[in-house]
Amino acid sequence: MPTQTVKMVITGPFNSGKTEFVRSISEIDVVSTERKITSEAERDIKEDTTVAMDFGRITVDNDLVLYLFGTPGQRRFDFMWEILAQGMLGFVVLVDSARPETFREAKSILETFRAYAPTPYVVAANKQDMPDAWSIDDLRIALHLDSDVKMLPCVATKRESVKNVLLELLYSILEEIDAQEE
Amino acid sequence: MKGNLRDFSTTQILNLVSLAKKTGTLSVERKDMRGSLSFKDGKLIFAAVGEADGSLASILARDGRITKEQAAALAKHAQKTGDKQLGLLLIQKGYVTQSDIIQSIKRHSLAAINQIAGWKEGSFFFDASRMPDDGRITVPLDLESIIIQLARVQKLDEQLEEEIPSLDVCLKFVNQPGVQLKDLQLSKDEWRVIKYIKPDNTIRMIANTLNMSDRQIRRVIGSLREAGLVELVRVVRRQPLTPEERENKRNIVDRLIGRLQAS
Repeated sequence: MPTQTVKMVITGPFNSGKTEFVRSISEIDVVSTERKITSEAERDIKEDTTVAMDFGRITVDNDLVLYLFGTPGQRRFDFMWEILAQGMLGFVVLVDSARPETFREAKSILETFRAYAPTPYVVAANKQDMPDAWSIDDLRIALHLDSDVKMLPCVATKRESVKNVLLELLYSILEEIDAQEE
Repeated sequence: MKGNLRDFSTTQILNLVSLAKKTGTLSVERKDMRGSLSFKDGKLIFAAVGEADGSLASILARDGRITKEQAAALAKHAQKTGDKQLGLLLIQKGYVTQSDIIQSIKRHSLAAINQIAGWKEGSFFFDASRMPDDGRITVPLDLESIIIQLARVQKLDEQLEEEIPSLDVCLKFVNQPGVQLKDLQLSKDEWRVIKYIKPDNTIRMIANTLNMSDRQIRRVIGSLREAGLVELVRVVRRQPLTPEERENKRNIVDRLIGRLQAS
């Protein structure tokens, strides 16, 4: 029987922690397409950025593999987004809880992905371990998220935290399947 | 100097005119409308766009200082005498003051320049030898503050385009509005749009129904979203899964959950 593959997409603004998120949970070394940042303003934030995608893998068994795709965060690489979104099981929107200047962009990315495909999603409030991180409640208000949208605390460098986010997304997918049955 | 607004925006042209202190008339033309802006030494002195042809009678009528009937009669008079003579006559007869005329013309010029600045496409031509007729009343306006204002508006529009990249999405009211509804004050356009907000109507459909431009509808939706009243909803409708597909999918998700929980 050929191996079945399913995918989830990890998206969010520049420097929201997508690459770290995929790295923390992937069983293989993440295939990353990072390049040196050319913009001075962005270089102040980090040295490298993803230009095409990050690619991670979780093998379930001989027949099933989950691929994780991290999208590039900058708008100038958004031509990759729709390609990555095709056929996804669900998606995670990462928000840098400590950088309110990126919240508007995060909401915009969330809405763009919702328009690509009607799949379940969760919002992960990353960098919750930072002292100036916004609380989940405040973030929900800032992002104008409905109470039925799952918003989860996250520290993308910690595997357990990433695992929890992915599990919550999977539970949402199950809920959607159940809802279709009713 | 000629080209297309697609490549060189109105704001950029105005900046150039201001810096180079140019004199002449910029004509802008798109499919359904044309406009013209005249400058003297880098200052805007006269503007006309579409039906707002910049004549004193039409400006005063649009500003509500005279009725349409009066404007029609005065326009005939002005054809013979010119706007300057007409203005003097109106001041002498006590219908308006000089200040009324200047303020109305300023408002008209700003409205015209704002309208033209919103055009993203259309040919333009700057003719250094063309100036408004001698009979026209010209009121000089500094371009610098206009350019700053236009650049600010343009930036906001660009932000809105990023936030609402596609108009082929639907809207819904949020469950918990981010504003006290009793304190809410909506503009006329916002009320018009609200009437059509339902999950089956895309933003484009609403804009077409209300005869609004992409820019107008984005601004209205942008302010309704900013107030936390509405949100965009997915427009792609999923084909319902067959029972077999549902079972397969559930099986996959259960296995994924099991794998993650065990790790």
